[in-house]
Amino acid sequence: MDRLFAPGIKRDLCRGVQPDTCSPLLPRPPRLEDHEILLKFQDPASRNLAFNQLVRKYQGKVYWHVRKMVVDHDDADDLTQDVFIKVWKHLENFRQDAALFTWIYRIATNECLNFLGSKRRKFLLPLTDVGAELAAKIEADPAVAGDEIELKLQQAILRLPDKQRLVFNLRYYDEMPYEQMAEVTGTSVGALKASYHHAVKKVEDYVTRNSAE
Amino acid sequence: MKPSFKLDAHPRRPHPPLSGPPAGYFDHLPMRVMARLPRADAREAASGWGWLAFLSPALRTGLASVAVLGGFAASFYLGGTPRLVPSAAGTASLDAVPRTELVGYLLTSGARVESADLAVLTAANPGVAKGFWHASEDELTDALDAQPSEDATYL
Repeated sequence: MDRLFAPGIKRDLCRGVQPDTCSPLLPRPPRLEDHEILLKFQDPASRNLAFNQLVRKYQGKVYWHVRKMVVDHDDADDLTQDVFIKVWKHLENFRQDAALFTWIYRIATNECLNFLGSKRRKFLLPLTDVGAELAAKIEADPAVAGDEIELKLQQAILRLPDKQRLVFNLRYYDEMPYEQMAEVTGTSVGALKASYHHAVKKVEDYVTRNSAE
Repeated sequence: MKPSFKLDAHPRRPHPPLSGPPAGYFDHLPMRVMARLPRADAREAASGWGWLAFLSPALRTGLASVAVLGGFAASFYLGGTPRLVPSAAGTASLDAVPRTELVGYLLTSGARVESADLAVLTAANPGVAKGFWHASEDELTDALDAQPSEDATYL
């Protein structure tokens, strides 16, 4: 078995930390809890490994949260990496006044909104044109082919203002509690509930008007 | 009549109908992120001027503008204009000179005190007559007005 181990990997596995390179024959060690990740991150000797664990733990959620907002995979890829770069830079100063993933979600949310805002300003696109551009990407995606109602639904969602679309995604797709959503967005629970309610009405009205008889 | 669409009645997907990322994307993403992390020496530099990297570009531009304008303002303030010697300092130094020496200088140096000089002197410091003359200002004014307009030597 020792021949399967690259130098240093056996030591890391014994510590319960997933190494960067791992033989596919070996089972993955259990993931660290958030407080363990934060503790190991404070130690320069284990900082890289702790951060690697953090990325592996949350990459899927961050990626799809971003992808739902920007639609395009390449944009989502860039933004996801930017999110984790920012997490690396600021994790030392994370005050733990919120859950780690809530904090990461907040960074990801701000990155998405900044990206969409700068895109709009850069090209002087009004809100509806940005929505149309994103809708065109979804229409071209083979995953939605043949499902007319789903296509209309996505078109309706993409026509929502960025922040309202964010609230809709968090509630409808992620089923996030309003209290957690308030921490992510910095908005009150009442405002979030109202925003989601109006978003649902807009979506339903759009699909009703634009669906075939 | 079109049936109304109700979101609650529509089967909910875990996420929008988007194609998944390329195969192996999540296996390689951590390594790609780690490769982009700032190096340790860059982190050490954060204790110096590296904190500027954490500011927004607009804020960095504003700080730079303030620094440039502040430099200009400081150069103007420190350079300044030469201060005029106050008349009090000039008369104070003259006050230290004995009157006999003053008279002797004026009589022998060839310096000619002309009516224009007296006019300028009294206009700049109306009280200067009190230090040099035992005549009132009105008496001096009358005496000057009585003089011819062309320049003449008084001493």
